[in-house]
Amino acid sequence: MAKIWENWSGSVKFEPERIEKPASEEEVAQFIQQAIAQQKQPRIVGAGHSSVPLVETQHILISQEKLKGIVGHDSDTCRVDILPGTSIAEAGEGLIKLDLSMHNTGDVDMQSVGGAFGTGTHGSGLKLQNLSGMMVGCRLVDGSGETRSFTMEEHPDTMRAAKVSLGALGFFTQLSIQAEPARQYVRREFCAHVDESMEHLQHLITDNRMFDMYWYPRNDMTKLRICNQVGEGMQDISFGERTKNDEGWLYEVLPQFRDLKYEEMEYAIPLEAGPECFAEVRKRIKAKHRHYVGWRVLYRTIAADDAYLSPFYGRDSVTIALLQNSELEYQKYFDDMEPIFRDFGGRPHWGKKHSLQAKQLQALYPKWDAFLKVRKQLDPDGLFLNGYLKKILGI
Amino acid sequence: MKNRQYGKKNWAFAGGIIPVNSTGEEPEYVSKDVLSILNTSPTEATVNITFYYTDSDPVGVYEIKVQPQRIRMFNINDLIDPQAVPLGVPYGGVLESDVPVVVQLTRQHTGQEALALMGISVYQADGAN
Repeated sequence: MAKIWENWSGSVKFEPERIEKPASEEEVAQFIQQAIAQQKQPRIVGAGHSSVPLVETQHILISQEKLKGIVGHDSDTCRVDILPGTSIAEAGEGLIKLDLSMHNTGDVDMQSVGGAFGTGTHGSGLKLQNLSGMMVGCRLVDGSGETRSFTMEEHPDTMRAAKVSLGALGFFTQLSIQAEPARQYVRREFCAHVDESMEHLQHLITDNRMFDMYWYPRNDMTKLRICNQVGEGMQDISFGERTKNDEGWLYEVLPQFRDLKYEEMEYAIPLEAGPECFAEVRKRIKAKHRHYVGWRVLYRTIAADDAYLSPFYGRDSVTIALLQNSELEYQKYFDDMEPIFRDFGGRPHWGKKHSLQAKQLQALYPKWDAFLKVRKQLDPDGLFLNGYLKKILGI
Repeated sequence: MKNRQYGKKNWAFAGGIIPVNSTGEEPEYVSKDVLSILNTSPTEATVNITFYYTDSDPVGVYEIKVQPQRIRMFNINDLIDPQAVPLGVPYGGVLESDVPVVVQLTRQHTGQEALALMGISVYQADGAN
Protein backbone atom coordinates (compact mmCIF):
# COMPACT_ATOMS: atom_id res chain seq x y z
CA MET A 1 0.00 0.00 0.00
CA ALA A 2 1.41 3.35 -1.04
CA LYS A 3 2.34 5.90 1.55
CA ILE A 4 4.26 9.13 1.60
CA TRP A 5 7.94 8.74 2.39
CA GLU A 6 9.61 11.68 4.08
CA ASN A 7 13.25 12.30 4.90
CA TRP A 8 14.51 13.23 8.36
CA SER A 9 14.20 16.99 7.92
CA GLY A 10 10.91 16.88 6.02
CA SER A 11 12.14 18.62 2.87
CA VAL A 12 12.12 15.51 0.64
CA LYS A 13 8.76 13.78 0.18
CA PHE A 14 7.45 11.38 -2.41
CA GLU A 15 5.02 8.51 -2.78
CA PRO A 16 6.53 5.21 -3.93
CA GLU A 17 4.24 2.41 -5.06
CA ARG A 18 5.64 0.32 -2.27
CA ILE A 19 8.38 0.15 0.31
CA GLU A 20 10.20 -3.15 0.71
CA LYS A 21 12.37 -4.15 3.64
CA PRO A 22 14.51 -7.15 2.72
CA ALA A 23 16.16 -8.97 5.58
CA SER A 24 18.80 -10.81 3.59
CA GLU A 25 20.99 -10.50 0.52
CA GLU A 26 18.81 -13.08 -1.22
CA GLU A 27 15.71 -10.99 -0.63
CA VAL A 28 17.48 -7.89 -1.95
CA ALA A 29 18.36 -9.77 -5.13
CA GLN A 30 14.76 -11.00 -5.45
CA PHE A 31 13.37 -7.45 -5.17
CA ILE A 32 15.87 -6.14 -7.71
CA GLN A 33 15.06 -8.99 -10.11
CA GLN A 34 11.35 -8.33 -9.65
CA ALA A 35 11.92 -4.66 -10.41
CA ILE A 36 13.77 -5.57 -13.61
CA ALA A 37 11.01 -7.97 -14.67
CA GLN A 38 8.27 -5.45 -13.90
CA GLN A 39 10.22 -2.53 -15.41
CA LYS A 40 10.02 -0.69 -12.13
CA GLN A 41 12.66 1.56 -10.71
CA PRO A 42 14.12 0.59 -7.34
CA ARG A 43 15.84 3.12 -5.14
CA ILE A 44 17.67 2.44 -1.92
CA VAL A 45 17.11 4.19 1.37
CA GLY A 46 19.10 4.09 4.60
CA ALA A 47 18.19 6.27 7.56
CA GLY A 48 16.73 9.01 5.36
CA HIS A 49 19.03 11.68 6.75
CA SER A 50 20.03 13.11 3.36
CA SER A 51 18.16 16.20 2.26
CA VAL A 52 18.39 15.78 -1.51
CA PRO A 53 16.19 13.35 -3.48
CA LEU A 54 18.81 10.65 -4.01
CA VAL A 55 16.36 8.00 -2.84
CA GLU A 56 13.28 9.23 -4.66
CA THR A 57 11.32 6.79 -6.80
CA GLN A 58 7.72 6.46 -7.86
CA HIS A 59 8.07 2.68 -7.85
CA ILE A 60 9.93 0.54 -5.30
CA LEU A 61 11.79 2.01 -2.37
CA ILE A 62 14.01 -0.67 -0.84
CA SER A 63 15.01 0.03 2.73
CA GLN A 64 18.21 -1.14 4.38
CA GLU A 65 16.61 -1.10 7.81
CA LYS A 66 16.49 -4.87 8.34
CA LEU A 67 20.06 -5.33 7.13
CA LYS A 68 21.79 -4.53 10.37
CA GLY A 69 24.70 -5.83 12.36
CA ILE A 70 28.27 -7.02 12.22
CA VAL A 71 28.48 -10.35 10.44
CA GLY A 72 32.19 -11.14 10.48
CA HIS A 73 35.59 -9.90 11.55
CA ASP A 74 39.27 -10.69 11.46
CA SER A 75 40.94 -9.71 14.70
CA ASP A 76 44.42 -9.84 13.14
CA THR A 77 43.67 -7.29 10.43
CA CYS A 78 40.89 -5.41 12.27
CA ARG A 79 38.70 -5.86 9.22
CA VAL A 80 34.97 -6.14 9.84
CA ASP A 81 32.02 -7.13 7.68
CA ILE A 82 28.98 -5.02 8.43
CA LEU A 83 25.50 -4.77 6.96
CA PRO A 84 24.58 -1.49 5.27
CA GLY A 85 21.55 -0.61 7.39
CA THR A 86 23.56 -0.59 10.59
CA SER A 87 23.53 2.94 12.00
CA ILE A 88 26.78 4.67 12.86
CA ALA A 89 25.76 4.43 16.52
CA GLU A 90 25.02 0.71 16.24
CA ALA A 91 28.30 0.16 14.42
CA GLY A 92 30.16 1.79 17.30
CA GLU A 93 28.34 -0.37 19.84
CA GLY A 94 29.04 -3.51 17.84
CA LEU A 95 32.67 -2.74 17.17
CA ILE A 96 33.49 -2.08 20.81
CA LYS A 97 32.45 -5.66 21.62
CA LEU A 98 35.34 -6.68 19.35
CA ASP A 99 37.65 -4.10 20.99
CA LEU A 100 37.48 -2.13 17.75
CA SER A 101 36.40 1.31 16.65
CA MET A 102 35.81 3.38 13.56
CA HIS A 103 38.50 5.97 12.97
CA ASN A 104 35.97 8.78 13.13
CA THR A 105 32.27 9.58 13.02
CA GLY A 106 30.22 12.49 11.83
CA ASP A 107 28.63 15.10 14.03
CA VAL A 108 25.56 12.89 14.38
CA ASP A 109 25.32 9.10 14.36
CA MET A 110 21.82 8.38 13.12
CA GLN A 111 22.83 7.68 9.50
CA SER A 112 23.13 4.17 8.17
CA VAL A 113 26.64 3.02 7.33
CA GLY A 114 25.62 2.45 3.72
CA GLY A 115 24.09 5.90 3.35
CA ALA A 116 26.93 7.64 5.15
CA PHE A 117 29.57 5.98 3.00
CA GLY A 118 27.62 6.50 -0.18
CA THR A 119 27.28 10.26 0.24
CA GLY A 120 30.84 10.96 1.44
CA THR A 121 29.76 11.73 5.00
CA HIS A 122 32.66 12.64 7.24
CA GLY A 123 33.83 13.75 10.65
CA SER A 124 36.67 16.15 11.29
CA GLY A 125 40.42 15.69 11.55
CA LEU A 126 43.34 16.86 9.46
CA LYS A 127 44.67 13.34 9.01
CA LEU A 128 41.34 11.50 9.02
CA GLN A 129 39.55 10.56 5.83
CA ASN A 130 35.80 10.53 5.42
CA LEU A 131 33.85 7.48 6.63
CA SER A 132 34.02 5.70 3.28
CA GLY A 133 37.79 5.74 3.65
CA MET A 134 37.30 2.69 5.88
CA MET A 135 35.71 0.68 3.09
CA VAL A 136 37.97 -2.09 1.80
CA GLY A 137 35.41 -4.39 0.24
CA CYS A 138 31.74 -4.80 -0.52
CA ARG A 139 29.01 -7.04 -1.81
CA LEU A 140 26.25 -5.56 -3.93
CA VAL A 141 23.36 -6.49 -6.14
CA ASP A 142 23.95 -4.77 -9.46
CA GLY A 143 21.59 -3.48 -12.12
CA SER A 144 21.13 -6.92 -13.64
CA GLY A 145 20.15 -8.44 -10.30
CA GLU A 146 23.44 -10.24 -9.91
CA THR A 147 25.25 -10.33 -6.58
CA ARG A 148 28.86 -9.19 -6.89
CA SER A 149 31.80 -9.04 -4.53
CA PHE A 150 34.71 -6.59 -4.66
CA THR A 151 37.82 -5.86 -2.62
CA MET A 152 40.26 -3.01 -2.69
CA GLU A 153 43.12 -5.41 -3.34
CA GLU A 154 41.52 -7.14 -6.31
CA HIS A 155 39.26 -4.43 -7.73
CA PRO A 156 40.76 -1.04 -6.87
CA ASP A 157 39.06 0.78 -9.73
CA THR A 158 35.58 -0.49 -8.83
CA MET A 159 36.18 0.11 -5.13
CA ARG A 160 37.25 3.72 -5.69
CA ALA A 161 33.99 4.23 -7.53
CA ALA A 162 31.97 2.29 -4.97
CA LYS A 163 33.11 4.13 -1.84
CA VAL A 164 31.10 7.27 -2.61
CA SER A 165 28.58 6.13 -5.16
CA LEU A 166 25.21 7.70 -4.27
CA GLY A 167 23.42 4.37 -4.58
CA ALA A 168 24.04 4.53 -8.32
CA LEU A 169 26.01 1.29 -8.70
CA GLY A 170 23.63 -1.12 -7.03
CA PHE A 171 22.32 -2.17 -3.63
CA PHE A 172 25.11 -2.78 -1.12
CA THR A 173 24.36 -5.89 0.88
CA GLN A 174 27.57 -5.96 2.89
CA LEU A 175 30.47 -3.62 3.53
CA SER A 176 33.95 -4.61 4.66
CA ILE A 177 35.62 -1.91 6.68
CA GLN A 178 39.07 -1.36 8.07
CA ALA A 179 38.47 -0.69 11.75
CA GLU A 180 41.15 0.12 14.33
CA PRO A 181 41.84 -0.98 17.90
CA ALA A 182 39.51 0.80 20.31
CA ARG A 183 41.06 3.56 22.43
CA GLN A 184 39.76 5.85 25.12
CA TYR A 185 39.17 9.41 23.96
CA VAL A 186 38.67 12.75 25.66
CA ARG A 187 36.34 15.25 24.12
CA ARG A 188 36.56 18.82 25.33
CA GLU A 189 34.53 21.84 24.32
CA PHE A 190 35.34 25.51 24.80
CA CYS A 191 33.65 28.82 24.10
CA ALA A 192 35.77 31.59 22.61
CA HIS A 193 35.42 34.69 20.47
CA VAL A 194 35.69 34.00 16.76
CA ASP A 195 38.64 36.35 16.30
CA GLU A 196 40.72 34.46 18.85
CA SER A 197 39.61 31.12 17.46
CA MET A 198 40.69 32.10 13.96
CA GLU A 199 43.98 33.47 15.27
CA HIS A 200 44.76 30.06 16.78
CA LEU A 201 43.08 28.01 14.08
CA GLN A 202 46.20 26.40 12.66
CA HIS A 203 47.30 25.06 16.05
CA LEU A 204 43.82 23.87 16.86
CA ILE A 205 43.77 21.87 13.62
CA THR A 206 47.29 20.45 13.75
CA ASP A 207 47.61 19.80 17.49
CA ASN A 208 44.43 17.78 17.86
CA ARG A 209 43.35 14.51 16.29
CA MET A 210 39.88 15.91 15.78
CA PHE A 211 38.90 19.54 15.86
CA ASP A 212 35.84 21.39 14.70
CA MET A 213 34.38 24.81 15.28
CA TYR A 214 30.86 26.16 15.42
CA TRP A 215 30.49 29.88 14.74
CA TYR A 216 27.33 31.58 15.97
CA PRO A 217 26.39 34.39 13.59
CA ARG A 218 24.30 36.35 16.07
CA ASN A 219 27.02 36.90 18.65
CA ASP A 220 30.37 36.13 16.96
CA MET A 221 31.22 33.47 19.51
CA THR A 222 32.50 30.02 18.66
CA LYS A 223 32.31 26.60 20.20
CA LEU A 224 35.62 24.75 19.79
CA ARG A 225 35.46 20.98 20.03
CA ILE A 226 38.59 18.88 20.31
CA CYS A 227 38.80 15.12 20.63
CA ASN A 228 42.00 13.16 21.26
CA GLN A 229 43.17 9.84 22.57
CA VAL A 230 43.72 10.11 26.32
CA GLY A 231 46.98 11.91 27.04
CA GLU A 232 47.33 13.33 23.54
CA GLY A 233 46.49 16.67 21.94
CA MET A 234 45.66 19.95 23.64
CA GLN A 235 44.76 19.57 27.30
CA ASP A 236 43.38 23.10 27.53
CA ILE A 237 42.68 26.15 25.38
CA SER A 238 43.96 29.23 27.16
CA PHE A 239 41.70 31.73 25.44
CA GLY A 240 38.51 29.69 25.79
CA GLU A 241 36.10 28.82 28.56
CA ARG A 242 35.77 25.06 28.98
CA THR A 243 32.19 23.84 28.83
CA LYS A 244 32.58 20.09 28.43
CA ASN A 245 35.03 17.31 29.28
CA ASP A 246 33.87 13.81 28.39
CA GLU A 247 35.94 10.65 28.36
CA GLY A 248 35.00 7.33 26.78
CA TRP A 249 35.03 5.29 23.61
CA LEU A 250 34.99 7.30 20.42
CA TYR A 251 31.43 6.38 19.49
CA GLU A 252 30.32 7.50 22.95
CA VAL A 253 31.97 10.91 23.09
CA LEU A 254 32.08 12.12 19.49
CA PRO A 255 28.58 12.25 17.96
CA GLN A 256 26.00 14.58 19.41
CA PHE A 257 22.35 13.78 19.95
CA ARG A 258 20.25 16.18 17.92
CA ASP A 259 16.53 15.94 17.34
CA LEU A 260 16.07 19.54 16.24
CA LYS A 261 15.35 19.41 12.54
CA TYR A 262 17.50 21.46 10.21
CA GLU A 263 18.46 21.95 6.60
CA GLU A 264 22.08 22.11 5.66
CA MET A 265 24.41 23.13 2.86
CA GLU A 266 28.02 22.06 3.09
CA TYR A 267 30.94 22.53 0.74
CA ALA A 268 34.44 21.09 0.83
CA ILE A 269 37.11 23.56 -0.21
CA PRO A 270 40.89 23.25 -0.35
CA LEU A 271 42.40 23.25 3.14
CA GLU A 272 44.49 26.35 2.59
CA ALA A 273 41.47 28.36 1.40
CA GLY A 274 39.47 27.63 4.55
CA PRO A 275 40.14 30.77 6.59
CA GLU A 276 39.57 33.15 3.68
CA CYS A 277 36.38 31.37 2.64
CA PHE A 278 35.12 31.38 6.21
CA ALA A 279 35.83 35.13 6.46
CA GLU A 280 33.67 35.70 3.38
CA VAL A 281 30.93 33.48 4.75
CA ARG A 282 30.95 35.30 8.07
CA LYS A 283 30.87 38.72 6.43
CA ARG A 284 27.98 37.79 4.14
CA ILE A 285 25.86 36.21 6.84
CA LYS A 286 26.27 39.18 9.15
CA ALA A 287 25.48 41.61 6.35
CA LYS A 288 22.53 39.83 4.76
CA HIS A 289 21.16 36.86 6.63
CA ARG A 290 21.36 36.92 10.37
CA HIS A 291 17.99 38.62 10.78
CA TYR A 292 16.46 35.23 9.99
CA VAL A 293 19.39 32.87 10.52
CA GLY A 294 20.27 32.18 14.12
CA TRP A 295 21.91 28.82 13.82
CA ARG A 296 25.54 28.05 13.43
CA VAL A 297 28.17 27.50 10.81
CA LEU A 298 30.33 24.39 11.17
CA TYR A 299 34.03 24.39 10.19
CA ARG A 300 35.82 21.03 9.86
CA THR A 301 38.90 19.53 8.21
CA ILE A 302 39.17 16.24 6.29
CA ALA A 303 42.12 14.36 4.81
CA ALA A 304 42.43 13.75 1.08
CA ASP A 305 41.36 10.40 -0.36
CA ASP A 306 41.16 8.63 -3.71
CA ALA A 307 37.46 7.80 -4.04
CA TYR A 308 36.35 9.07 -7.44
CA LEU A 309 33.33 11.04 -6.24
CA SER A 310 34.59 11.90 -2.79
CA PRO A 311 34.40 15.66 -2.16
CA PHE A 312 37.89 15.18 -0.71
CA TYR A 313 39.35 13.48 -3.76
CA GLY A 314 43.00 14.44 -4.10
CA ARG A 315 42.98 17.31 -1.65
CA ASP A 316 43.06 17.93 2.07
CA SER A 317 39.96 19.96 2.72
CA VAL A 318 38.01 22.26 4.96
CA THR A 319 34.26 21.84 5.04
CA ILE A 320 32.00 24.75 5.89
CA ALA A 321 28.38 23.90 6.66
CA LEU A 322 25.44 26.28 6.93
CA LEU A 323 22.62 25.12 9.20
CA GLN A 324 19.13 26.52 9.31
CA ASN A 325 15.99 25.47 11.18
CA SER A 326 14.04 23.30 8.76
CA GLU A 327 10.84 25.28 9.34
CA LEU A 328 12.46 28.60 8.44
CA GLU A 329 13.54 30.04 5.09
CA TYR A 330 16.64 28.22 3.92
CA GLN A 331 16.59 28.33 0.11
CA LYS A 332 17.22 32.07 -0.08
CA TYR A 333 20.07 31.71 2.41
CA PHE A 334 21.73 28.79 0.65
CA ASP A 335 21.27 30.29 -2.83
CA ASP A 336 23.01 33.47 -1.79
CA MET A 337 25.87 31.72 0.00
CA GLU A 338 26.61 29.01 -2.54
CA PRO A 339 28.57 31.26 -4.96
CA ILE A 340 31.08 31.99 -2.19
CA PHE A 341 31.87 28.30 -1.88
CA ARG A 342 31.98 27.98 -5.66
CA ASP A 343 34.50 30.82 -5.88
CA PHE A 344 36.86 28.78 -3.69
CA GLY A 345 36.54 25.63 -5.80
CA GLY A 346 34.05 24.06 -3.43
CA ARG A 347 32.57 20.60 -3.90
CA PRO A 348 29.14 20.11 -2.33
CA HIS A 349 28.25 17.39 0.15
CA TRP A 350 26.29 14.85 -1.89
CA GLY A 351 23.62 14.38 0.77
CA LYS A 352 22.99 18.03 1.60
CA LYS A 353 21.39 20.93 -0.24
CA HIS A 354 23.16 22.28 -3.32
CA SER A 355 22.16 23.45 -6.76
CA LEU A 356 24.92 22.00 -8.94
CA GLN A 357 24.22 19.90 -11.98
CA ALA A 358 26.32 17.49 -13.98
CA LYS A 359 28.34 19.98 -16.01
CA GLN A 360 29.41 21.93 -12.94
CA LEU A 361 30.09 18.79 -10.91
CA GLN A 362 32.10 17.14 -13.66
CA ALA A 363 34.50 20.08 -13.66
CA LEU A 364 35.16 19.53 -9.95
CA TYR A 365 35.97 15.82 -10.14
CA PRO A 366 39.07 14.65 -12.05
CA LYS A 367 37.87 11.04 -12.00
CA TRP A 368 34.31 11.80 -13.08
CA ASP A 369 34.52 9.73 -16.25
CA ALA A 370 36.13 6.83 -14.38
CA PHE A 371 33.16 6.76 -12.02
CA LEU A 372 30.67 6.84 -14.88
CA LYS A 373 32.49 3.97 -16.57
CA VAL A 374 32.18 1.75 -13.47
CA ARG A 375 28.55 2.79 -13.07
CA LYS A 376 27.82 1.72 -16.62
CA GLN A 377 29.53 -1.62 -16.08
CA LEU A 378 27.44 -2.37 -12.99
CA ASP A 379 24.15 -0.86 -14.13
CA PRO A 380 24.20 -0.59 -17.93
CA ASP A 381 20.44 -0.07 -18.21
CA GLY A 382 20.32 2.62 -15.55
CA LEU A 383 17.99 0.66 -13.29
CA PHE A 384 19.08 2.64 -10.22
CA LEU A 385 19.09 6.08 -11.88
CA ASN A 386 16.23 8.27 -10.77
CA GLY A 387 15.63 11.70 -12.24
CA TYR A 388 17.80 13.42 -9.68
CA LEU A 389 20.76 11.11 -10.28
CA LYS A 390 20.41 11.54 -14.04
CA LYS A 391 20.49 15.28 -13.55
CA ILE A 392 23.57 15.40 -11.36
CA LEU A 393 25.44 12.68 -13.25
CA GLY A 394 24.52 13.99 -16.70
CA ILE A 395 23.08 10.71 -17.96
CA MET B 1 14.11 34.88 53.98
CA LYS B 2 15.92 31.81 52.67
CA ASN B 3 12.70 29.85 52.22
CA ARG B 4 10.67 32.68 50.72
CA GLN B 5 9.62 32.35 47.10
CA TYR B 6 9.12 35.50 45.09
CA GLY B 7 7.34 35.99 41.84
CA LYS B 8 4.67 34.29 39.80
CA LYS B 9 4.42 31.25 37.57
CA ASN B 10 3.01 32.98 34.48
CA TRP B 11 4.38 36.05 32.75
CA ALA B 12 3.80 37.84 29.47
CA PHE B 13 5.20 40.73 27.46
CA ALA B 14 4.01 42.37 24.27
CA GLY B 15 6.74 44.76 23.17
CA GLY B 16 9.51 42.53 21.90
CA ILE B 17 11.55 43.51 18.84
CA ILE B 18 15.22 42.67 18.44
CA PRO B 19 16.97 45.43 16.49
CA VAL B 20 18.50 44.26 13.23
CA ASN B 21 21.55 46.51 13.19
CA SER B 22 24.43 46.58 15.65
CA THR B 23 27.61 48.61 16.06
CA GLY B 24 30.68 47.82 18.11
CA GLU B 25 32.38 44.63 19.21
CA GLU B 26 30.30 41.49 19.58
CA PRO B 27 29.02 39.81 21.61
CA GLU B 28 29.14 42.72 24.08
CA TYR B 29 27.56 45.34 21.83
CA VAL B 30 25.25 43.30 19.65
CA SER B 31 21.69 44.60 19.65
CA LYS B 32 19.56 42.20 21.63
CA ASP B 33 16.54 41.46 23.77
CA VAL B 34 17.61 39.86 27.03
CA LEU B 35 15.35 37.84 29.28
CA SER B 36 16.36 37.63 32.93
CA ILE B 37 14.72 35.09 35.18
CA LEU B 38 15.11 35.03 38.96
CA ASN B 39 14.32 31.78 40.71
CA THR B 40 14.30 32.23 44.50
CA SER B 41 12.70 28.86 45.11
CA PRO B 42 14.61 25.81 46.40
CA THR B 43 13.79 23.79 43.26
CA GLU B 44 14.89 24.12 39.66
CA ALA B 45 12.49 26.10 37.49
CA THR B 46 11.45 24.86 34.09
CA VAL B 47 10.20 27.82 32.09
CA ASN B 48 8.36 27.22 28.83
CA ILE B 49 8.30 30.22 26.51
CA THR B 50 6.01 30.77 23.53
CA PHE B 51 6.48 33.70 21.16
CA TYR B 52 3.64 35.42 19.33
CA TYR B 53 3.86 37.46 16.12
CA THR B 54 1.73 39.92 14.17
CA ASP B 55 1.11 37.76 11.11
CA SER B 56 2.23 34.22 11.80
CA ASP B 57 1.43 31.41 14.20
CA PRO B 58 2.93 31.23 17.69
CA VAL B 59 6.23 29.40 18.01
CA GLY B 60 7.23 27.35 20.99
CA VAL B 61 7.96 26.02 23.37
CA TYR B 62 11.43 27.16 24.18
CA GLU B 63 12.38 25.37 27.39
CA ILE B 64 14.67 27.20 29.79
CA LYS B 65 15.97 25.75 33.05
CA VAL B 66 16.88 28.00 35.97
CA GLN B 67 18.73 26.49 38.89
CA PRO B 68 17.32 26.93 42.43
CA GLN B 69 18.10 30.30 44.00
CA ARG B 70 19.85 31.54 40.87
CA ILE B 71 19.23 33.96 38.05
CA ARG B 72 19.60 33.18 34.38
CA MET B 73 20.05 35.82 31.68
CA PHE B 74 20.02 34.96 28.00
CA ASN B 75 19.69 36.68 24.67
CA ILE B 76 16.47 35.91 22.85
CA ASN B 77 18.58 36.38 19.69
CA ASP B 78 20.46 33.19 20.51
CA LEU B 79 17.49 30.85 20.87
CA ILE B 80 17.24 28.36 18.01
CA ASP B 81 15.16 25.50 19.40
CA PRO B 82 12.53 25.13 18.03
CA GLN B 83 13.29 28.14 15.79
CA ALA B 84 15.49 31.21 15.66
CA VAL B 85 13.54 34.33 16.62
CA PRO B 86 13.60 36.78 13.69
CA LEU B 87 15.32 40.13 14.16
CA GLY B 88 13.45 43.35 13.39
CA VAL B 89 10.06 41.70 13.81
CA PRO B 90 7.60 42.67 16.57
CA TYR B 91 6.79 39.84 18.92
CA GLY B 92 5.37 39.08 22.32
CA GLY B 93 6.09 36.28 24.72
CA VAL B 94 4.36 34.14 27.31
CA LEU B 95 6.43 32.44 30.00
CA GLU B 96 5.02 29.56 32.01
CA SER B 97 7.10 28.29 34.91
CA ASP B 98 6.55 25.37 37.25
CA VAL B 99 7.72 27.41 40.24
CA PRO B 100 7.34 31.12 41.01
CA VAL B 101 9.92 33.26 39.23
CA VAL B 102 10.55 36.94 38.55
CA VAL B 103 11.03 37.94 34.92
CA GLN B 104 12.55 41.03 33.35
CA LEU B 105 13.04 41.92 29.69
CA THR B 106 15.82 44.30 28.66
CA ARG B 107 16.73 45.64 25.25
CA GLN B 108 20.15 46.74 24.06
CA HIS B 109 20.02 48.73 20.83
CA THR B 110 23.40 49.56 19.36
CA GLY B 111 22.23 50.44 15.87
CA GLN B 112 23.79 53.83 16.50
CA GLU B 113 27.05 54.38 18.30
CA ALA B 114 25.26 56.27 21.06
CA LEU B 115 24.25 53.22 23.05
CA ALA B 116 20.67 53.06 24.29
CA LEU B 117 19.35 50.66 26.91
CA MET B 118 15.74 50.20 27.80
CA GLY B 119 14.07 48.05 30.40
CA ILE B 120 10.65 46.63 29.70
CA SER B 121 8.13 45.51 32.28
CA VAL B 122 6.77 42.00 32.01
CA TYR B 123 3.16 41.43 32.99
CA GLN B 124 2.43 39.03 35.81
CA ALA B 125 -0.17 36.82 34.24
CA ASP B 126 -1.05 34.46 37.10
CA GLY B 127 -4.76 34.02 37.49
CA ALA B 128 -5.65 35.08 33.97
CA ASN B 129 -8.01 32.75 32.13
